[in-house]
Amino acid sequence: MAESESESPSDTNPEVLNLNEVDQAFIKEIVKAGGENVFACYQCGTCTAGCPAGWKTAFKIRTILRKSILGLKKEVISDRAIWNCTTCYTCYDRCPRDVRPTEVIKTIRNLAVKGGYMLDSHKAVSHFALKMGHAVPINEQFAEQREALGLARLPPNASSDKKAIKEFQKIAKRTGFKGLVDFEEEETPE
Amino acid sequence: MEKTRVFGEKLPGVVVSRDNKFMCSDPGQKLIKDDIEEHRLDRVVVAACSPRLHDPTFRGVCREAGLNPYLTEMANIREQSSWVHMEEKTKALEVAQDIIQGLVEKVKYLEPLETKEVPVTPSCLIIGGGITGISAALDIANAGYKVYLVEKSPTIGGRMAQLDKTFPTMDCSSCILTPKMAEAGRHPNIELFTYSELKDLSGYVGNFKATIVKNPRYVTTECTGCGECVPVCPVYIPNEFEEGLAARKAIYIPFPQAIPNCYTIDMDHCIRCDLCLRICDEQAKAVDFTQVPEEFELDVGTLIVATGNDVFEGMESVGHGIEEYGYGTYENVIMGLHMERLLSSTGPTGGKLVRPSDKKEPKTIAFIQCVGSRNQMNLNPWCSRVCCMYALKYARQIKEKHPDANVFIFYIDIRAFGKGYEEFYEIAQSQYGIKFIRGRVSELLEDPETKNLLIRGEDTLLTRPIQLEADLVVLSVGLVPRQDAQTIATLLNISRSADGFFLEAHPKLAPCDTTLQGIFLAGTAQGPKDIPDSVAQGKGASSGALALMQRGVVEIEPYVPEVDLDLCSACEMCVQVCPYQAIEISETTKKALVNEVLCHGCGICNAECPTGAIQLRSFKDTQLLAQVAALLGE
Repeated sequence: MAESESESPSDTNPEVLNLNEVDQAFIKEIVKAGGENVFACYQCGTCTAGCPAGWKTAFKIRTILRKSILGLKKEVISDRAIWNCTTCYTCYDRCPRDVRPTEVIKTIRNLAVKGGYMLDSHKAVSHFALKMGHAVPINEQFAEQREALGLARLPPNASSDKKAIKEFQKIAKRTGFKGLVDFEEEETPE
Repeated sequence: MEKTRVFGEKLPGVVVSRDNKFMCSDPGQKLIKDDIEEHRLDRVVVAACSPRLHDPTFRGVCREAGLNPYLTEMANIREQSSWVHMEEKTKALEVAQDIIQGLVEKVKYLEPLETKEVPVTPSCLIIGGGITGISAALDIANAGYKVYLVEKSPTIGGRMAQLDKTFPTMDCSSCILTPKMAEAGRHPNIELFTYSELKDLSGYVGNFKATIVKNPRYVTTECTGCGECVPVCPVYIPNEFEEGLAARKAIYIPFPQAIPNCYTIDMDHCIRCDLCLRICDEQAKAVDFTQVPEEFELDVGTLIVATGNDVFEGMESVGHGIEEYGYGTYENVIMGLHMERLLSSTGPTGGKLVRPSDKKEPKTIAFIQCVGSRNQMNLNPWCSRVCCMYALKYARQIKEKHPDANVFIFYIDIRAFGKGYEEFYEIAQSQYGIKFIRGRVSELLEDPETKNLLIRGEDTLLTRPIQLEADLVVLSVGLVPRQDAQTIATLLNISRSADGFFLEAHPKLAPCDTTLQGIFLAGTAQGPKDIPDSVAQGKGASSGALALMQRGVVEIEPYVPEVDLDLCSACEMCVQVCPYQAIEISETTKKALVNEVLCHGCGICNAECPTGAIQLRSFKDTQLLAQVAALLGE
């Protein structure tokens, strides 16, 4: 008896959601950053049911919208599934309440990155871009083929332009992108 | 409040300034009355809420205290200041004070006015012969007043005649409707105008003049309703009453209990083979191709608009709504009223449930709710208030006929709010085994071989995408304003709300009135409604009409313009701009003459007049300019 008085069920059972302890600011951030219609959602599920990613993966848009409105920030931004959206805009097209779920997902992703949740693969791609000037840099095989054809090993884009790469990195530093993707200075090419 | 009171006290001409939390209450009113008597006040300004509601209150106070009621004004410091400037209290106070100051200056220029009484013709024109119009007509006729009931289609009865059963009692719809229709048809005080339309309306409260056009049926009242003409007619066209699920002939009666029980020839489709004429000539001699439209001029004191609704049938180029679900492309996707007729024992299948593609009995039936309703994507944002209940009704009827059928209802929210409705829903859940899926259908695909339908949605309670193969899909489409609503609105000069239904005078306190005195609203013409609510509103409208007719006279507000004959140059600009045709050039004076009963006091003439000859009482240039000058602090 004494125990149940001092402890709320949410203290002992993580399944219980304590609505006093949620992040009230999260949904405001989403509204401000591009999800202005999110409160119009009446949870009909049209988005989830029409979502190509929803049929194949754990990505459930309606549930993400619900959690966001309630303020479950950490649960939402740490959910790897938010990265499964292909931004095909089917939900955006079909939503009867003009919630524009695709825009909300994009906003949530930005907030996730800001909050330190970014997939390693995305970071890796960013490192390529910052290091080599191209998100999908040329590999050894293609470099050799180019050479065989009498071309320069590196194509005439940012990959072969050290100055451009430097400028790119400068921009990334100024905007804070470097910090978001944990890019270290020493990775810079010679 | 105290600051405002002190501010008022210091204004030039103010004798006494008081503050009371409820000036509209009896003690508040007494305060004003006592002050008028004690200080011999000749003007009153009440700074409070909207004059729309309380002008009559404070005018009454003045009248009782012996002051002309038109020497008072209300400063609306609620809507015009405190509510709109809620976030900025200091500025709100300033605005309130400005408003008061303006009116204190204005009232100094007010003139005493007298209201006018005009007689009310003891008759009512009801437009629309559905259940709403019929019940309103019976109420008024039973009270002893004349009713003209105008109906566009060949019979009265309206939408309710199409229904098989009515929720939640499952009464047979025509069993409860047809006695009312018959009563209306034979009531000595009710004159029916079926197959007729309102062509023109002029006049004003108590004294309307309506022109009704009776379209030719090409069948006279000699028709005995024997129906011999029907088999010989070679023309088959979709039957509207059966929602296109069956055919009718060019000579037809909408349904057996139609009133009047008289056949009609649909001239848009008649090929003039005259076979009906020949067969009828052997008996009643009722077919008459020489008929032409007839016009009737009616003098009526009051009007009730009960024109009903249309059913949502999608919107072109929106891509949401019924097109989204393949209606019109997929054979086995039907709408609510189709199901109504399929389940009706008087329907095209005699009540046998079959699906359109193969006329076989469907085993799995899915209802999709809120189609075209509650939708912000250029569709209808409103809830149509009947679709949940009719879907529940059909689902129960299907399960009663075919207990083995699998019935699914895809819903977002079930709204069962009327008397006995929640109980009806509970029984549908507990005793019928209907499966309720909380989720809106996202996509619907047809199997071209079987013509079955693949439904994809989410069970939002399970948080899982789901799919279902159904034999038949019913779209629970909502109610929309009638296509010809604007024609009626223009004819009567009444307004429509943003949703397109007719606008009531006040959403809470005058739901059956229009802004035009003497014209009342009832039923689904005003907004989506079920039968009990429609009948109730019909009763409300009839009571409004009766109150006017019973008293026999009506007071007209004195806010009409007066013409300074010396200044008027008879340029006719006021005549042209007047929306109510209330101004003409007098034969005798050759100057503008205002018909005070036609005038609505809008003031457009006042603004238009180049010489300032025409001045709207209580809004005269002198009065308004004094107010403006005070507002600007001059």
